[in-house]
Formats: sequence, structure tokens, C-alpha cells
Amino acid sequence: MPVWQVALVLNLTFAVGLGLGYAGWGRRAAALDREFDAVRAQVERLEREREACAGGARAGEQQWEGRGVVRAAYARLLVITHEEIRGLLPARTTGFRAASPKMRDAVRVGDPIRFSLRGTVVDDAVLVAIERW
Amino acid sequence: MRALLLAALWAHLASSVLLMGAFSMLLLAGVPDAPTARRWDETVVRWSRLLVLGAIGSGIVWLLVRTAIFENRPHAALEPRAVWHAALDTWPGLVWLARHGLLVVLGAFLAIRVSIAERRNWIAARGEALVLAALALALISASSHAAAIATGTMLAVASDVTHLLGTGVWLGSLAPLALLLRAASREAGADARPCAVRAARRFSRTALIAMLVLMASGVMNALAQVESVAALAGTTHGRLLLTKLGVLIPILALAVVNRTRILPALPGPNAMRRLAAFVGLEAGLALVLLVLAAAMTLTTPARHAQPVWPLSFRLSPDTLLDAPATRWRALLGSQLALVGVIALIASLLVRGRRAPMLAGALALVAAGAGIGLPPLVVDAYPTSYRRPLLTYHAASIASGMGVYRQHCASCHGATGDGDGTAMRAPVDLRLAPTSRRHAGEIYWLVGHGIPGRGMPSFDRRLDEARRWDVINLIRALGAANESKRVGRQVEPDRAWIVAPDFTVSVGPLAPGALRDYRGRRMVLLVLYTLPGSRARMTELARSYDLLWVMGVEVIAVPTHASPEAIGELGSSPPVLFPVVTDGGTEIVTTYCMFAPGPHAELLIDRQGYIRAIWKDDTAPEVTAVQAQVERLNEEKSPPPFPDDHVH
Repeated sequence: MPVWQVALVLNLTFAVGLGLGYAGWGRRAAALDREFDAVRAQVERLEREREACAGGARAGEQQWEGRGVVRAAYARLLVITHEEIRGLLPARTTGFRAASPKMRDAVRVGDPIRFSLRGTVVDDAVLVAIERW
Repeated sequence: MRALLLAALWAHLASSVLLMGAFSMLLLAGVPDAPTARRWDETVVRWSRLLVLGAIGSGIVWLLVRTAIFENRPHAALEPRAVWHAALDTWPGLVWLARHGLLVVLGAFLAIRVSIAERRNWIAARGEALVLAALALALISASSHAAAIATGTMLAVASDVTHLLGTGVWLGSLAPLALLLRAASREAGADARPCAVRAARRFSRTALIAMLVLMASGVMNALAQVESVAALAGTTHGRLLLTKLGVLIPILALAVVNRTRILPALPGPNAMRRLAAFVGLEAGLALVLLVLAAAMTLTTPARHAQPVWPLSFRLSPDTLLDAPATRWRALLGSQLALVGVIALIASLLVRGRRAPMLAGALALVAAGAGIGLPPLVVDAYPTSYRRPLLTYHAASIASGMGVYRQHCASCHGATGDGDGTAMRAPVDLRLAPTSRRHAGEIYWLVGHGIPGRGMPSFDRRLDEARRWDVINLIRALGAANESKRVGRQVEPDRAWIVAPDFTVSVGPLAPGALRDYRGRRMVLLVLYTLPGSRARMTELARSYDLLWVMGVEVIAVPTHASPEAIGELGSSPPVLFPVVTDGGTEIVTTYCMFAPGPHAELLIDRQGYIRAIWKDDTAPEVTAVQAQVERLNEEKSPPPFPDDHVH
């Protein structure tokens, strides 16, 4: 085989190898990363559902735990400056509906608290438990 | 261990550069058409096979030594598992595998015994070898300092690749060219003279382009890795670069002599012999250059190292602000130097009367420097360009205030105005020249004192962190003095007072910082005292929604820090903005220098500068704050983000 053909084959091999390497390994690695993130999110959701069921919730509901400081308290609403609530909200100030009006009496503005939320999404998440931190 | 690593790296780098240069030179010389030229061609290929072995061997040594350093155990270099781990689980290891894979392919390609008598076969063989060698050389950049740059990585790596390939084309070709010229200069090799002349002329043109590319990429690399003159002169990496430039000068001088004097005299045998000797000398110096380049890759990049300023002076244009009488001198000197530089460029372009013109130009530059530079000279110290250990933070400033009261206030006065009693004529720390001194210079003066003026040394009394605390305080005193010019109205496009950073702790939640808002939101910092500020806090609580929509975060800090601060503000209307419940004392101590009083408000823009201040206990109307926020929102060219450290 003439040298120029050897060189051509060698370069083609490199090009094809790089292309296949990216197509096969690079794309697969990216897909695995995405798959892993999705599975982890699903596991966390199932874990929250299990906790919610243990607490007497309906099927499909999840339970989230959070920590924060009470900023305002109304009969059916507590405004809380909270840390990130994993799987639900980033750190910010949010108003949450209270499952019971008695919750308002348990806390004062400025109190640091731990709380539990239950629901299917952020819009129907309800405060089901509160304790001073 | 480091000497062995340097030796291995140098051998590897030199082999890789020579490999690329060898095939670049063979292609430049063209298909050998004479017996001597063919023998030279075969010799270069034979040497290339050895260079491949050398590159792989030195590369293996490099990997073993790096493994030992990586594992922090000398024996790890001989443990297959540790070497395997270093090669497969680290980025430099993966790059090493890719490069050595290419070198193995190149070695195999060169080992194949095939006929290259036909022109296209010869070109394919040498061209393929050049491509493989160039790829192996260029991939060094993938694990170099350039690849570690956080922003603009692609540009930095591209510049580094260009620099390496330029080095391969220029410096790597010198040795094979010297071999060809030497062979052709002999009587027995006279048949190769046309080939040698062709090769020398083509190389001369290529080297000129390669040199320009190297200069451009070298400047870009220096901007990325060195950043400043202080880092160039004051760090090991910078000094290695200066030494490299020093070695480059004789190489360039030889290149100029070769190009202008000897090349035109070819193909005379004497000229060829002299050219062979000079090119050989250039190649020798190139190997020294590669030692320095290898050493640079093993040192911390200058931009990350603490510079130690080597001179007892530095140039500071700020001195002209303090001594207006010297401005004319600086102006005259700069204009003379400018004319000198123009004359210098002109002397290089014209053909006649070059020498007197050059001498005149140099004299003008020297005269300009002699007249213009002395007024700019100020004292400097080894720490002049030292980077502060601590950021410009309220906690550091508050800590510095305690140190200041204990050690400095008796001389410099409680506010830094020089109104103390214990020292003769102490300087006002709030004003120039103190405010214009580099932080590193104040660090030196605090540590070593000024014996002639009665300032004692605090080297043993204050550790490094405490000294930087005091320096942050001195900067804050100067800024507070400057802030007198900041009023209730935002001055569009004028930002010069950097807001000291502080920690925002609300209850036991994870704390944030003022700098977290940079680029995202303006901050209205409210220092309040109850009950006097209650009406204003109620007003702020009511208008918080609107301020939020306008891009403002309100951060309230009680002047009397209390963990109950949120509760004390009451629940009607609800206060939803952050109220600092921990660390408020440091914030109040620092910001009261800018805006004293039981109630004060400071508007900090998105870049982190204080743009408006309401003090003297009179709280602003909400509409007044909104009007200033509007002004900031309309600003077309916001200032750059300030550095986190004082300078």
C-alpha cells in the first residue's frame, strides 16, 4: 500500500474514532447524567410520598420539610422566610396556608421554626406541622 | 523530586518541539533531489524515531514523578494502582494518555519501511508525521496553566496552542536546518546546496511569520497568566518569563544577522558554514529557552502568586495630583518620549541616515524619561503589591477599629485625622497621600514603622490578619471622608464609594452577604433605632412590594443588635424584608462612619457602590427613595464591579 494511502487511512481512522467516540461515549455519558438526575428526583419524590402516607396523607401527596423564620402570622396563613425546601422551593419568603388555625397561636413573628408541608405541588402545599427551632 | 520533574518535562517538551520542527523543516526543504539531501532527509527521520522514544520515555518519567507528588508518597511512583489512578482519574492523566497515544502512532508510522520515492508518497509520509507531531505538541495546552483559567478558557488555550505550534515551527526547525547547511557546506555535499539555499530561504520567511505569531500569542499568554507589572517583576513565574525574554534577545539578534547578512550571501560555502554555525547556536539557545518554559509550567502562575516587589521605588501618576507644580515636567517628558518613539519607528522604516536617526530617537526617549519620570517616583517596599489577606468586609473593619483604638488612635486621633497627642505631626489617614498608597505599602509601614517620624513597628504586636483589619479600617476612614460628597441625590454615572461587604443573618437561617445581590438587585440599607424609626419602618414595610418590583432589596439593621429584632418590629403591617438579627453590630460600626445617627439609609447600586445617603436622623420620603432608584435603573453605563479587596 502506498504511503499516501496509509496516511489517508490513518487520518480517516482518527476522524471516525473521534466522531464515534463522541457519538457513543460522550452522548451516552450525557444521557446517563440526565437519567441519574431524573431517577434521583423520582426517589426523593417517592420518599416524600412515603413520609406523607405515613402521616395519613392521600395517595400522590408528598411531604416537604423546611426551616425558617416567621415573618407574619394570620389565621390561615403563615409568611415564612425559609431556607431551600428541597424539591419544592429555593430560599425565599413565602406565604403558606396553615392546616389548622391553632398553628397561628403556636408561634410569634420572629420565631425560628421547623415546619412540614404536605401537598402535590407548591400551590396546594399546606403547613401540617410546626415546631420552634 | 521537582528537579527530576523539571528534567523530565524539559526532555519531553524539547523532544516534542524538535519532532514537529523536524518534519516542518523537511517539508519546507521539499522533496530531496540530491544524494546528500536524501541522506539528510533519512538522518532527520532516523533522529525523529529516537526523539519519539525520548518523548515517550521522558513522558513516562513525568507521569511517575507526578503520581508520587499527587499521592504525596515517593513510593507511589512504583505502584501500578497509583499510576493507573493518576493516568485515568485525573485530567492531566487523560491528556497524557491521548498525547502518548499519538506519539505511539507516530513512532509506528515512522517505523514502517515503505518506499517514498514517489513525490506524493514522500509528501504524505512527511505531512502525516508533521500532523501527528503537531497534535501531540498542541495537546500539551489541554493540561497547562491556560486550561485552568476560569473565564475565557477557550481563548487562553487557543493562544497557548498557537504559541506551542509557533515554537515547533520556528525553534524546532533550527537543528535540522543546521544539519542540512553543515552537510551542504562541505565539498562532498555540494550537490545539496540548491536544496539548502531553498530550505534556508523558505525557513527565513516562515520563521518571520512564526515569530510574529509567537509574539502575539506570548503577549496574550502573559496577559492571561501574569496580568500586571508587579506580578512580572515580583514572582518566580514572572521572573522566569523575563529571563525567557532575555534569552530570546540573542536568538532574535542571530536571526536578524542570518536574515540580513548571511542569507543574501548564499550559496557561497563560507556563508553556508557560517549560517550553519549561527543556526546551530540559535538551536542551542532554543533548548535553554525550553528549560525556562518547562520551569514556568511548574511554578504557580504569576497572577495567583504573591508578588514581592524588587525595587525601592515605583512610578505613581497619583503624585501629580499632590504636587501640581511637577505636572509640566511630566507632560514635557512624556511628549519628548512620544516624539522619540515615533522617530524610533521612522528610523526602522527609512533606508538612509538610519544610524543618526536611531541615535537621535534613543536620545529623545532617554531625555523624556529623565525629565518625565522622576516626579512620578514614590517609595516602594517588598509588600507594595501584596494582595490583602482579608476582604473589605464590615467584620474586618469593625475588628480593625478595636485594634486602631488600642494601638493607633493615641497618635492618629480617634477618627484618623491626625489629631492625636503622642506623636509629632502624624499624618491624616483619611487624606492623600495615605489614601493613595497601595494597601501593601501601608501593610509594610504598619509592620516596620517609620523610625524617622516616630511611628513604631507593629511587626510583633499585630499578626497579619490584624494588620489587614487596620488597613481595611484606614480605607473605610478614607471612603467615609469621601462619602461626604455623596448626597440624597444619585449622581448618574458617578460611582466611587465601594460599600463594604457584610453578612446578612436572619435568625438561625444560613447567612447571605451583601455581595450576593451584585448584578441582581439594588440594596437599601436601613440602620434603624426603635422607637424613633418605627414610623419609617412601617412605611418601608408597606412599600416593600413596590421597591421589590423596582429591583430593590431592603436590608434593615437595628443599631442595638438583638435576636428579637424581627419580633420587635411588630406584625402589622408585616415586615417581610431581611432584618439582621446577628452580626448587626459590625454593620452598624462600619456604616455609621458613612452615615451616623439613630436612623440612616444608604442606597447601594447593583454593582456594590454607595450612591445616595440619607442621614442626620431625617428619614426620607418613600417617593424620594423611589426617585433615586429610578435614576439608577435608567443608568446606561453602570460602573464595573469593584474588587473584593482594598488596593
